[in-house]
Amino acid sequence: MIKTKETAENWVRDAETGNPISPKQQPGYYPGYSTLGQRKFWDEATRRTVEDRVYNVPKIRFFNEIELLTMTAVADRILPQDDRLPEFRIPIVNYIDERLYEDKIHGYRFENMPPDRDAYQLALQAIDDMARDLHSKPFVDLEPMQQDRLLKSLHDGKPLAEHDFWKKMSVERLWHMLVQDCVNAYYAHPWAWDEIGYGGPAYPRAYTRLENGQPEPWEVDEQRYEWEAPPNSLSDHFEPMPSDHQSVSGQGGTH
Amino acid sequence: MKTPILGAFGPPAKNGNERILGPMQQISPRTRQFAENDAVDYAVVGIGSAGGVLLQRLAKAGFRVVGLEAGPFWDTERDWVSDENGSHKLYWNDLRITGGEDPLAFGENNSGKGVGGGSVHWAAFTPRFHPSDFRVYSQDGVGADWPLSYEELLPYYELLEREMPVAGPAYFPWGRPHGYPFGPHPLGGVGNVLVEGCTKLGIGVVAGGPVAILSGSRGKRPHCIYRGFCIQGCKVGAKASTLITHVPEAVEYGAEIRDRSMVFRISMQDRRRVNGVHYYDEHGKEHFQRAKAVIVSGYAIETPRLLLNSACPGHEHGLANSSDTVGRYLMAQAGNVILGRFDNLIRMYKAPPAHALSEDFYETDPKRGFARGFAIQTVGPLPIAFAKQMMKAKGAWGWGMRRVMMDYNHWAALGLLGEILPWADNRVQLAEEKDQFGIPVARVTFSLHDNDKKMIEFGKRTVMEVMRAAGAEEVVQESRYAHLVGAARMGTDPSSSVVDKYGRTHDVNNLFVCDGSILPTQGSANPGLTIQSLAARTADYLISQGEKIWTSEERDMTTPPIRHNLAVKDTFTTGVPRLWK
Repeated sequence: MIKTKETAENWVRDAETGNPISPKQQPGYYPGYSTLGQRKFWDEATRRTVEDRVYNVPKIRFFNEIELLTMTAVADRILPQDDRLPEFRIPIVNYIDERLYEDKIHGYRFENMPPDRDAYQLALQAIDDMARDLHSKPFVDLEPMQQDRLLKSLHDGKPLAEHDFWKKMSVERLWHMLVQDCVNAYYAHPWAWDEIGYGGPAYPRAYTRLENGQPEPWEVDEQRYEWEAPPNSLSDHFEPMPSDHQSVSGQGGTH
Repeated sequence: MKTPILGAFGPPAKNGNERILGPMQQISPRTRQFAENDAVDYAVVGIGSAGGVLLQRLAKAGFRVVGLEAGPFWDTERDWVSDENGSHKLYWNDLRITGGEDPLAFGENNSGKGVGGGSVHWAAFTPRFHPSDFRVYSQDGVGADWPLSYEELLPYYELLEREMPVAGPAYFPWGRPHGYPFGPHPLGGVGNVLVEGCTKLGIGVVAGGPVAILSGSRGKRPHCIYRGFCIQGCKVGAKASTLITHVPEAVEYGAEIRDRSMVFRISMQDRRRVNGVHYYDEHGKEHFQRAKAVIVSGYAIETPRLLLNSACPGHEHGLANSSDTVGRYLMAQAGNVILGRFDNLIRMYKAPPAHALSEDFYETDPKRGFARGFAIQTVGPLPIAFAKQMMKAKGAWGWGMRRVMMDYNHWAALGLLGEILPWADNRVQLAEEKDQFGIPVARVTFSLHDNDKKMIEFGKRTVMEVMRAAGAEEVVQESRYAHLVGAARMGTDPSSSVVDKYGRTHDVNNLFVCDGSILPTQGSANPGLTIQSLAARTADYLISQGEKIWTSEERDMTTPPIRHNLAVKDTFTTGVPRLWK
């Protein structure tokens, strides 16, 4: 993972005092909770799969050096981790790289999209070109706010700088793919489960407290604190995508 | 916690978790038995919901059968994990091109690859279709009528509900009211939300099923442990999949299953008869299995793809496609997910995602301004699926995504399951692109029509009201689709359908289709139970017809007797013991 600037400017704020909150090993409202601490209660196949995400991160094999720099900077804004201690940040780009290297697709391609590998390479080039058009700098050297503004234009489906690249694919579909690949990596990691208080694997041991959001004996209860995103960011806002009938991902988590 | 619920934990034993969940027995699938030039009685293509049942029935009745499955034969303890991201291999992830005005996403959870097929990763909701589903055209002037009635399928619903078996309420009030053989499951947080919201609004709701998950141990299978990974493959063995309900018995009775075998063409002996299937093994080597009859059970994309890819002289537009119906009338259900944030904790990852539902809006109500209706069901997205829903429903990314995910335990999710009607222009065709074997992939075109859009608008508004009534302070929704059926529909008229009511293709005497693709309409019920019931019925028909299937030009449409004796072991008991005078 590329080193990001460790300045208080990038830290989240205490919502009451406005003071920067220094990075933690485990942000979130479940201090002391550890899914990995329960691993001896998991089946062997699951334990191996989850442990690999912590101890056996795949090497970069698909992205070239420039693509890797841009991709890392993009992932750092799509899922910023400045509230995490550097040694407790969750690798994201390695898993996107692994997927593309192995050409693992999700079972479909929208007809207005190129194959996933091409889409990534085109998009990273386009993002970098946009940065140069707007600020005469590569994306990786932009200020966080400039990076966010550029990415938000993709989120909104209206790229800031017109570019031929965007005629080769649907900007909306591309944005969905980027965000989905990032959350696929981040929320597959046991440290992310600790952050959000998710129970994790429970086989062969069962969950036994199903009602009223009660914690299992090994889970902990929520301890909320109010926080604000760093002032140099744009992403702590919710703007629903247009309410259309488009499905953006498979049926995981539904019927 | 030091003492686990189900027994002492040590390091997991080398051969499984026998000390925790009871013994896990090992079944070795038989090695290859049938020679390729030995014409087997039936070659079944695709061992999923329908294929598993067909194979078990035919083998138990004494037929010589081979099942060809594109994916692997799962070793559930080694191959499956209690993990969202580690379960992608359960899905059909090969390329499909998707387009139209409202293109469908595939992969995750709408079609399976591997023995057991989609039943490996279904949530296992098993409502029946309603009697009205079988006469949609006569009743509502839209869609199509089925070539059979609810009454004809009813005995098979009752049988399969016992075979799986289905847990649910003792009284299910919709359609033809009935009860379930296994007791309802306890409610999780999402079930509480659905029951509370519906109750406040005076909407009928049932809790604890119907779902094909064991609420008590039966025969060789333990009961549910409420770990919430139903759609990642049930390692416990509590959720029914044909991999554990029907395939073991198929193997026991001499069926042969060839896994990692991708059938790419059905071979014709002459214009009216097939004589086998061509397939690639896992090394890409081509094989030909001779068969007296072929049953295609590849589900709604792969079945039409195989029929279209099998075009040959005399069947230039694909096998069994004289009606130009193969690939058409593809349906998916509206599967909008409605998400509500509650002040209190929900923890929706616990309990089976499928455990409570309402069918109060299932039937046509002229006041609503559209035909047919929808159901409301519990769903339980795990963190990654939830994050993707938030990406769309709230436009979340960056710090916003991190923030809303920290609230994961405060959210509940309900699913709309709405009946999208069959339209000729929603279809599967062949694309230019080829798969890893060089076989043309499917191109799927899907667009909503006016009635569909009205239903979705009304449906999602209703579910959002339920969510608010349950106490959610914030309610958002995301569009998506669930299930795939149609694309080789059954009917009485050979000029507008592909197969007859037993799944036999109108054009080819010894070629059958039996899976979700033969459904003429889809109701607002999850299709799994209906698919397996139709498979058991087709099997009874084939058994009754005997050799006539292979030799005769005659089509005997006599209803076969139902064969309860072919149901899997442990289906029937002798009842409560009582001493009487």
